[in-house]
Amino acid sequence: MKLVLTPMLLSFHLFLLSQNCNAYLYQGDTCQYEACIIAEKRAGKYQFSRLYQEALDESIARCDRFSHAYRHKSVAYLKSGDFLNWKKLMDKAVALDPAEHLGYRGWCRYQFFRDYRGAIADIERLDSLVTYDIGHSVNSDYHLNVAKAICYKAIGQKEKALQILRKQLQEEDHLVGIYDYLHLGVLLMELGRDAEALDAFSRQRTQNDLAEIYYYEGIIAAKTNREKAITLWQKAKDMYLENKRMYDHYTYPYDQVYLAQIEARMAEKE
Amino acid sequence: MLFFVGLLLLAACQPTDTPTSKYPRWVGDISADPELDDADFTACNEKLAAQYFHLGQQLPYKGEKYAIEQAFAKQFVPNPAIKQSGLIRIRFMVNCEGRAGRFRMIAMDTNYQEQQFDPYITDQLMEITKSLDGWEVGMRKDESVDYYQYLIFKIEDGQLKEIMP
Repeated sequence: MKLVLTPMLLSFHLFLLSQNCNAYLYQGDTCQYEACIIAEKRAGKYQFSRLYQEALDESIARCDRFSHAYRHKSVAYLKSGDFLNWKKLMDKAVALDPAEHLGYRGWCRYQFFRDYRGAIADIERLDSLVTYDIGHSVNSDYHLNVAKAICYKAIGQKEKALQILRKQLQEEDHLVGIYDYLHLGVLLMELGRDAEALDAFSRQRTQNDLAEIYYYEGIIAAKTNREKAITLWQKAKDMYLENKRMYDHYTYPYDQVYLAQIEARMAEKE
Repeated sequence: MLFFVGLLLLAACQPTDTPTSKYPRWVGDISADPELDDADFTACNEKLAAQYFHLGQQLPYKGEKYAIEQAFAKQFVPNPAIKQSGLIRIRFMVNCEGRAGRFRMIAMDTNYQEQQFDPYITDQLMEITKSLDGWEVGMRKDESVDYYQYLIFKIEDGQLKEIMP
């Protein structure tokens, strides 16, 4: 096993540090401006470190309505699975600036804690508060409406999930996410709409070819043609071993498959 | 690798003891506790302990998360009389030999409020977690390192529904 530095980790960290404090100054809000400047002391410090946390505490002490300080503090708790402290900090951030932080909190509730109903509530509340596009997950992989659709599916409301997902994918300005059509295909397959599912998988193949596509296509093929299914699962296995598969650094994306699942399908008796 | 070099430098620059701080050196650090921990478990160099996601392997376990899910599916026995819901996190350290120790638990209800689960649930989860023996050894160049790992269990009406991360 190798330790890796991913561009995603770096870019995520740099994003968090790239806030423009001058924006507060232009608004005449010296309290938040000074807190923002103090918060920049954490630059170059490890998110989990004492010095990082203390810089943010100092920022909050200067201006306790600087919502970003609570959010930045929460990240180490999120990544270590400490839902109690993470939620307390994010609740403060959301209370101070709901439009700024609801989307992030909702996404994290889904991604890290599989809190589907909580994520739906946050994303829908955000949608009710703003007139602009509610945007993407913090890792940029999902539009928040796609994440919301997955959450509805997870709580058993598959038709509603399909409606939300299709609507989002049809938006003119929708930037297709790296897994959007895979999720659509799996959802359609689960609803028994195999032909439409296969169309979605084909679309996914053109966007981002993944082992999961062949795994799920194999499940559909197995209903009528076991030999074809085996070929598809073999392709899924090959791609899996080449790391051409769904991946997230911290958690497991919904609909991701494991190597053992692919092999179990191949070993099934007719 | 650069990330770890960065961590090394950061660790070198951190004060080793700041009694006035309310924070550990790193958020979530688990100190050894002779009353709780297996005396046989030792960290190799805990000052440089990584988090599991630094290892770039999602969940570093032989057979992936699927093997962990299978272990709990086979061994966890729900009690129909216990209807509690919420999340339970067990966090621990995997040392440079791939051995796990220093297990610690927190739990919440469905509103993110701290909650005590029935020991019938928590004892099982802890025992099964302690029995998992497929943790990968975390490597830096040619050297093995300690790392922190957690498992979060989603409980609905006393049933184990999902395991995270």
